[in-house]
Amino acid sequence: MAGLTLKNVFKRYENSGKKKNRQQNDYAVKDLNLVCEQGEFVAFLGPSGCGKTTTLRMIAGLEDITKGEIYIGDRLVNHLHPKDRNIGLAFEDYAMYPPLDVYGNVAFNLRAKGVDKGEIDRRVREIAPLMQIDDILDKMPVKLSGGQKQRVNIARAIIREPELLLMDEPLSHLDGKARQSMRVEIKRLINKIKCTTVYVTHDQLEAMSLADKIAIINFGVLQQFGTPAEVYDDPVNEFVASFIGEPPMNILETTIIKEDGTFFFTFANSNLKIAVPGRYYGVVSDGFRCKMGVRPMDVLVGGDGSKGTPEEIATFENLGDERRIGIRVGDMLLMLITEDEKRYRSGDIIKLEVREEKTHLFDIETGNRIRELA
Amino acid sequence: MNNGKKRLGYAAQNVLLIVYAVFALFPLIWMLIISLKSDAQVFTTTFVFTPTLANYKEVLLRSDYTSYMIDSLIISGGAVVVSVLVGVPAAYALARYNFHRKEDLAFQILSFKFAPEILVVLPLFMIYQKLGLYDTYLGLIWVYQLISMPLLIWVVRGYFEDISVEIEYAAQVDGYTWYQIFFKMLVPLIKPGLVSAALLAFIFAWNSFTFPLILAGRDIQPITVAITKYLGTDTAHYGQLAVAATVSAVPAMIFALCIQKHLVRGLSFGAVKG
Repeated sequence: MAGLTLKNVFKRYENSGKKKNRQQNDYAVKDLNLVCEQGEFVAFLGPSGCGKTTTLRMIAGLEDITKGEIYIGDRLVNHLHPKDRNIGLAFEDYAMYPPLDVYGNVAFNLRAKGVDKGEIDRRVREIAPLMQIDDILDKMPVKLSGGQKQRVNIARAIIREPELLLMDEPLSHLDGKARQSMRVEIKRLINKIKCTTVYVTHDQLEAMSLADKIAIINFGVLQQFGTPAEVYDDPVNEFVASFIGEPPMNILETTIIKEDGTFFFTFANSNLKIAVPGRYYGVVSDGFRCKMGVRPMDVLVGGDGSKGTPEEIATFENLGDERRIGIRVGDMLLMLITEDEKRYRSGDIIKLEVREEKTHLFDIETGNRIRELA
Repeated sequence: MNNGKKRLGYAAQNVLLIVYAVFALFPLIWMLIISLKSDAQVFTTTFVFTPTLANYKEVLLRSDYTSYMIDSLIISGGAVVVSVLVGVPAAYALARYNFHRKEDLAFQILSFKFAPEILVVLPLFMIYQKLGLYDTYLGLIWVYQLISMPLLIWVVRGYFEDISVEIEYAAQVDGYTWYQIFFKMLVPLIKPGLVSAALLAFIFAWNSFTFPLILAGRDIQPITVAITKYLGTDTAHYGQLAVAATVSAVPAMIFALCIQKHLVRGLSFGAVKG
């Protein structure tokens, strides 16, 4: 087991297109710095094409590193062959060897290394119950379901007892139920083997539920690296705020006005008015324009005596254990989640309350978080 | 009722298949019959005749027929071997790598099959005369690449594209070198496609007539060209012609029977099923 360190890592693909475009080719990964401590479970989270899988492949040695250094433990691995990096890799579409049965697939790496037969058998028998594949060891890959294939895939990655376990969107091809149960199983497995793990996903729910730390990446640039609670409660910019959470954070353009010594968020073509929390008084001014972010959980339907602004419901979704209400604020939509049992209909009027202290401010141009003065 | 309908459907299917089989096989049967007839009986259309092996003796023992067969085997076999050696890596590159004008290149390879052979054979004849390739095994094997290579590359490329690139990654992480990955992982996976494409390429090469007719003929004579010898200027020995044709069909049939199980699967399924 070892930690993982990325130092100023860049990746640029040689453009295969027309010659004249070659200079314009942008970095797929830009100046990535990251330290995963020994035994930590780190999720790389970002939309597709953001460079997370590229980064994983550079760590595995399947892609060249354009610039920068990657260390596994204390070893610089930039020029090591994948097999010498002591990693286990679980693939997105399982990558099983079709002519081999499950046993052969799991044992493949050890056989390639020339490990003694009895030892291989002992280790396969040890891993199989852990991944619950002991009853399918003699089956061929084509006969397996997606969930079973992924179990075998992971078994294959961990049987070599790697220093670093890499997983490339292991759940993305599974259907909803299998995905949930596999997620729980991965969590259980990692708790058991306590291996440093890098887990690539585009699903924030997987990242939030599995990871000790989340690295959120967009356009090849690391946006934020922190614990799930940190990225949820304290996002550094609009991208992180809107990527984490389901439904995502409401982010509305706002103009701040001052009335009787109190600042309020106001919105174009809407009579909604939300008080600005006192901690921001040092950074805002009358007429200040920015974006306001608030999580759907922090917008409430007021009771009978509520002083909230009356608003008309635009959309109402009943998801069983929660209900989502959409309110039109100018030409933007404000989502809120309520556990209130009441069945609303669009057109109903509710009193809208916002937990002001939970609001975040973002710069209208850069999307960066505007923080209160310390 | 439903059962009856089903049975009727099966019957109709079988009748149609039988009609087609008779239609397709009749010329072959007729050829076989002619090969067993004496010259005097060749033109009778009855099935009653005195079978004779005289034509077979004449063709197989008293002419250079065996040497024509050997020529054909060398040229067609050589063409397929070259196509496999060059075509499989080419197909891999076209399937896996992104490079400038990749699709154009792939299309160009395919386009070699578009032009009728007669269109290019005359300039080739002149070039071959100059280069000294005329009437050589090398020259014919080379020109046969126009026939066998495009087919092979396109079929095998499809197979490579079906194999997840992650299998190669996995093998790399497992410690395989690139040639081990290629020969131990990929070649077994493309084998059905490779075998059937190679067989088809062999048959096309074997049946080729225009190229060997114009680009060879003195020292080297493949069977397709040699058969025309039995059509003399004054007399046509149809019996011997039929023998030559019948025997020339044998190697391809043997190959096809040997790899029958690959043939159907190879051209109708991808590499990785499920």
